[in-house]
Amino acid sequence: MAGIAIAIFLLAFLIFPVLKVIYVAFQDPDTGALTLVNFSDFFSASLFRESFYNSFYVASVSVVFATLFAVPLAYFTTRFNFSGSVLIQTLGIVPLIMPPFVGAVAMKLLFGTNGSINLLLDEWFGINIPFMEGLNGVILVESIHYFPFILINLSAALNNIDRAMEESAQNLGSRGMRLFRRIVFPLAMPGYVAGAALVFIKVFDDLGTPLLLDVNKMLAPQAYLRISSIGISDPMGYVISVILIAFSLFALWTSMLAMRGKDYSTLQKGGGGLAKRDLRSWEKVGCYAVVIFILLLVLSPHVGLLLLSFGTIWSYSVLPDAYTLAHYTQMLASSGQFITNTLLYAGLAALFDVVIGTAIAYIVWRTKLPSRQWLDYMATAALAVPGVVIGIGYLRTFNDVNLPFVDGPVASWWFVIVIALAIRRLPYALRACVAAIQQVSVMLEEAAENLGATKRRTVWRITVPLMTGGILAGFITSFATASVELSATIMLVARESDAPLAFGIYEFMQSASGRGAGAALGVIAVVIVTLATYVSHRIIERGKQQQQSSGNVVREEA
Amino acid sequence: MIGHLRNVLGALLVSAAAVFLAVPALAQTGKLIVVTSYPPDTTTAFKAAFEKKYPGVKVEMLKKKTSAGIKYLQETAGNNTSDMFWASAPDAFEVLKGDDLLVKYKVKVKGIPKKVGSFPINDPEGYYKGFAASGYGIMWNTRYLKAKKLPVPKEWADLKKPVYFGHVGMSAPSRSGTTHLTVETVLQGEGWQKGWAEWKAIAGNFKTVTERSFGVPDGVNSGQFGVGIVIDFFGLSSKASGFPVDFVYPTVTTLVPANIAIVKNAPNAKNAAAFIEFLLSKEGQELLLNPKIRRLPVNPATYAKAPSDFPNPFKDSSIGSKVKFDLKLSKNRYNVVNSLFDVMITYRIDELRAATKAIQDAEAAMAGKSNAAAAKLIAEARAAVDATPITAVQAGEGGFNKIFKKKRKKASVKVTGRQADIEGQWDDMVKANYAKAKELAEKAKSML
Amino acid sequence: MEKAIQAAGVTIENLSLAFGTTEVLKGVNLEVEPGEFFAFLGPSGSGKSTLLRSIAGFGPTPKGRILIAGEDVAGLPPWSRDVGMVFQSYALWPHMSVAQNVAFGLEERRVARPEINERVADALALVGLSDFAERRPSQLSGGQQQRVALARTIVVRPKVLLLDEPLSNLDANLRTQMRREILALQRKLKLTTIFVTHDQEEANTMSKRMAVLDEGIIQQVGAPMELYDNPANTFVAGFLGTANIFEGKIEKKGKALAFRSRKGTRIPLGGGKAGVAHIVIRPQDMTLTAPGKKKGAKALDGVVTEMEFLGETIRYEIALSTGESLLVDVSHHQNQKHFMAGDKVGVDIDTKRIVTIAK
Repeated sequence: MAGIAIAIFLLAFLIFPVLKVIYVAFQDPDTGALTLVNFSDFFSASLFRESFYNSFYVASVSVVFATLFAVPLAYFTTRFNFSGSVLIQTLGIVPLIMPPFVGAVAMKLLFGTNGSINLLLDEWFGINIPFMEGLNGVILVESIHYFPFILINLSAALNNIDRAMEESAQNLGSRGMRLFRRIVFPLAMPGYVAGAALVFIKVFDDLGTPLLLDVNKMLAPQAYLRISSIGISDPMGYVISVILIAFSLFALWTSMLAMRGKDYSTLQKGGGGLAKRDLRSWEKVGCYAVVIFILLLVLSPHVGLLLLSFGTIWSYSVLPDAYTLAHYTQMLASSGQFITNTLLYAGLAALFDVVIGTAIAYIVWRTKLPSRQWLDYMATAALAVPGVVIGIGYLRTFNDVNLPFVDGPVASWWFVIVIALAIRRLPYALRACVAAIQQVSVMLEEAAENLGATKRRTVWRITVPLMTGGILAGFITSFATASVELSATIMLVARESDAPLAFGIYEFMQSASGRGAGAALGVIAVVIVTLATYVSHRIIERGKQQQQSSGNVVREEA
Repeated sequence: MIGHLRNVLGALLVSAAAVFLAVPALAQTGKLIVVTSYPPDTTTAFKAAFEKKYPGVKVEMLKKKTSAGIKYLQETAGNNTSDMFWASAPDAFEVLKGDDLLVKYKVKVKGIPKKVGSFPINDPEGYYKGFAASGYGIMWNTRYLKAKKLPVPKEWADLKKPVYFGHVGMSAPSRSGTTHLTVETVLQGEGWQKGWAEWKAIAGNFKTVTERSFGVPDGVNSGQFGVGIVIDFFGLSSKASGFPVDFVYPTVTTLVPANIAIVKNAPNAKNAAAFIEFLLSKEGQELLLNPKIRRLPVNPATYAKAPSDFPNPFKDSSIGSKVKFDLKLSKNRYNVVNSLFDVMITYRIDELRAATKAIQDAEAAMAGKSNAAAAKLIAEARAAVDATPITAVQAGEGGFNKIFKKKRKKASVKVTGRQADIEGQWDDMVKANYAKAKELAEKAKSML
Repeated sequence: MEKAIQAAGVTIENLSLAFGTTEVLKGVNLEVEPGEFFAFLGPSGSGKSTLLRSIAGFGPTPKGRILIAGEDVAGLPPWSRDVGMVFQSYALWPHMSVAQNVAFGLEERRVARPEINERVADALALVGLSDFAERRPSQLSGGQQQRVALARTIVVRPKVLLLDEPLSNLDANLRTQMRREILALQRKLKLTTIFVTHDQEEANTMSKRMAVLDEGIIQQVGAPMELYDNPANTFVAGFLGTANIFEGKIEKKGKALAFRSRKGTRIPLGGGKAGVAHIVIRPQDMTLTAPGKKKGAKALDGVVTEMEFLGETIRYEIALSTGESLLVDVSHHQNQKHFMAGDKVGVDIDTKRIVTIAK
């Protein structure tokens, strides 16, 4: 029953709207008949081939940089007794919460040709490094923005490695980098690949960053520019959307295929986590230096944001001319609604995500429903659908639908924004829920059924409580990323009073006097989401400690 | 059944209310939903003033980029909830009008002339109304120019000079309706071939082509590039916000009315009408003089209240009157111009820049020397850059334009050729030409 | 636990079950008496756990009937079967205290709270864990966890108690102790109990009767000693204890019966029918004689190839001249002389104890 309900939900709010948009790609622009001629146009145009290459290049190099940021943070915090591990892990997730527009503006002010860093470099050494020029800028911003996906997944995988694996390698004479390269990293590979695939796909599909940096020659911006141009009937935008979706699904599938049968961490459990060791003092200095450097780099957009929100005028100078609170007063005067809307929308969306995510995880891993895997595939496919496509698809699908209790068409009802956010962030929550249910031994559920609990009661009293940590983690990821989403929202906001924070920032950033206020609103967004993340991190940690050794008992028989 | 009953009841209530409220002339109630591309600085001022005048009405400003606003109105037309569309570019209104999404309205306020500069203020067919005028000009960052030791640009032609290489920013006409008008104005003023040559010469100096029209003032404000081609209120309001920037109208510029229209099947058409009347009233027009809004009123009487340095297009004939703007021609080739700009400039900016740099270097090397062969090569290089894939006649041809049109009303309207296919051909030609120009210029330089 | 539990019999009729195309149970028939302590014994993959789980209602729905106290439960979900199961890993819920774990089944049965408290306290007292009620499972030792799992199951007074490899997670000493405790508990409650094990010693010591399973088929059912002494087939013979099994023919020459193995070893028999057959000789039913010493007339000649000291006995591997080999156990006593590898020996077989299994 639940399976059918979810399937209908996904079909109605993901598959159908998307098909409604992309079928144009298969229409002959002259006659309207079904055809593939648009695809041959795509591949014969050198502009599109170059765009495809650029997108591929940017996504690949971003994965490399994201890896460079994530691996030291993940390794140091899981491997060594490191004070501030929780803080580092929390700060490491903050880059995911980069509010639209202001993040890129801040990065330009810091790293642009005439940004703070280059102005200093020019003054001291007479050099200018093109951090933000063209594709470089996209790679820098994207890898900073999305590296937490690798950090989260890799840390989890490292925490799951059986201590005995590492110890037996040491026993056989392996140590240092060799130990890491030959034993630890291969064992953590599934987590790494999951994170890296996510980074690749997100960067490949991302529209906002290249657009804000005025980079047009990539697939997603090409699609967007063509879809949203005034009065143009070119189907190429939709063709590109189809190609984006198909290629992302392909990347997802490849990563799954590559990792098939290699998920060692769930097979081998016992020790629970890498052995943590103390650092010698010179090692400690080195590690902290690396960690601080990385954190400074990945948090630089937020530092820039902070400066922007407090600075009076910041133009062609290393730092703002002076500091003021005026932007905050300006922002607070008009933005209360944005903040409450965001908390409501992102909160509801994340709630839907974990409910649906838990249900899908349960159906896939605990039932024998025919073709149940497709629920997972469908929900995950949302990852590959650009936000604009969802936004337009919703307008096309739900604008003619009226509900008795809704004032006006469904497409302009605020709840549609919640559904769009839920669909867009469902894959994150789903992965967390799947990971959580895989950690729960089936026997714990069978024991409950054996003692007279029905399936429903068992889920409620045993499965869900044991999944709490994972569910909460899914909730946070969905909530944090939904609260700064713009690309689908911007199409769906029908009233200013219904607008979320990201939309408010967008509005501010359209006028010269709104830049500081927009940054201030961005700071508020980051602070709210960071606090929420930190608090729930603490809750998860406490839960873990409570169940730590019991978890091991359950694992022993696995 | 119940829904039907609701509608009947609703209609009864509304008509009852209308009868009841018709007596006091000013009493308006309910909501007014305005889809607009204007920044909050502008919208909040008008919203506050309007709500003060009509305390019963709650105004909602729905901020959308012009192109997104059009898309939104198109997609929601079947079940419309918006009352008005309020934006700058007349072309945007033309698109909506073409899709039958606007209704005619007859303004009651008197004293608005027919034209500002050479541009008609209102839609001759009566669908949309001009309420203010804006002109394009050049904006620059004073700190940037000082640090890089660049002269202040005054005219469009200044922006072609090699000294500005890599310092200029502009938005793409396909992204911004007002930018489109600027491009079109130059094309009409200089002629098709020469106009494009002019644009490519300026674009060769571009640092970037921004995706949003606000990206240009934003870039100049933060010093990402020094000089921007912007609409006046962007430049002037940035200056008013305290940024170290300044703005100038070049002698050849265009004045464009900023417009407003009532959306078809508007739920609050009465309030919408009141809003138009308010915009054009004395108090509404005077709000435009606010330094954060800074638009040129269409009511000449308002200029009496303006500060002394405020340009008055109705008196100063140098603003926006040089070019006789042909609205029909512009409308006909609207999408072709946008597409050509993107193919030749936006998407090939790196190649264009490389070719321009090579030509500028060759010309610099040429200075003070005479070498006929090198001069010929440079001229050939220029010609290669300047070449435009199609002629003005082709661009204005109806059948050709249909390929780029959003909607064909009937399946019987036959068009041949696909946009992607044609753009692909243009792109191949442009790319080859830029490569050739670069090669020729480098060869010329090596001879000097 | 005061109120005696109404013991129920379990009848399994023609039960078959497949995972995909792999048949795991192939037509199982079985009768477990009310109050009986019954064991499923077999190697891993024999289907014994699957059989136990289908009685509890887990896994794919099998074909055939499962009757508990005369009622067919095969179509019922696990929660309606009233069959208590203790899992190999104990499956204690880590997010609940010991008392909460034990109370769970009663809560699901909507028992009133005062009664729950009383019965939980009784059950914990029964397994000797009264002081541990508020602990988390993770704070208990293996044996204590096992007891909680038992208490959690019997507190609901199931009709049948199922134990899946109950002792496999315990160390040797604890195993013996838990074995006794479980037996004592079972006797006290008179619960029909079925347990699964791959360890014949466990099955022998605990069960009244047992079923030996292999490849999804019940090979033989009976009391442990009965099966050991009279195995119905070579699998049972080989699985229970150590056995020398030969394949060959029984020949009759006049009145004398003799077995001739395929390779030609000839062993005289006390009885049996002529024809193709297997014979089973237990290692303890033979004696070894040193060369030169007087040996029985029917003794076989061989050479010692291996000697293993097992404590109470010494196990010799003897190579016969035909190339076949035999395992022979000789009881060990202090300072007793023993053979070494390479020694020539005579093998005397107590022919009366040879079991013949006709083909």
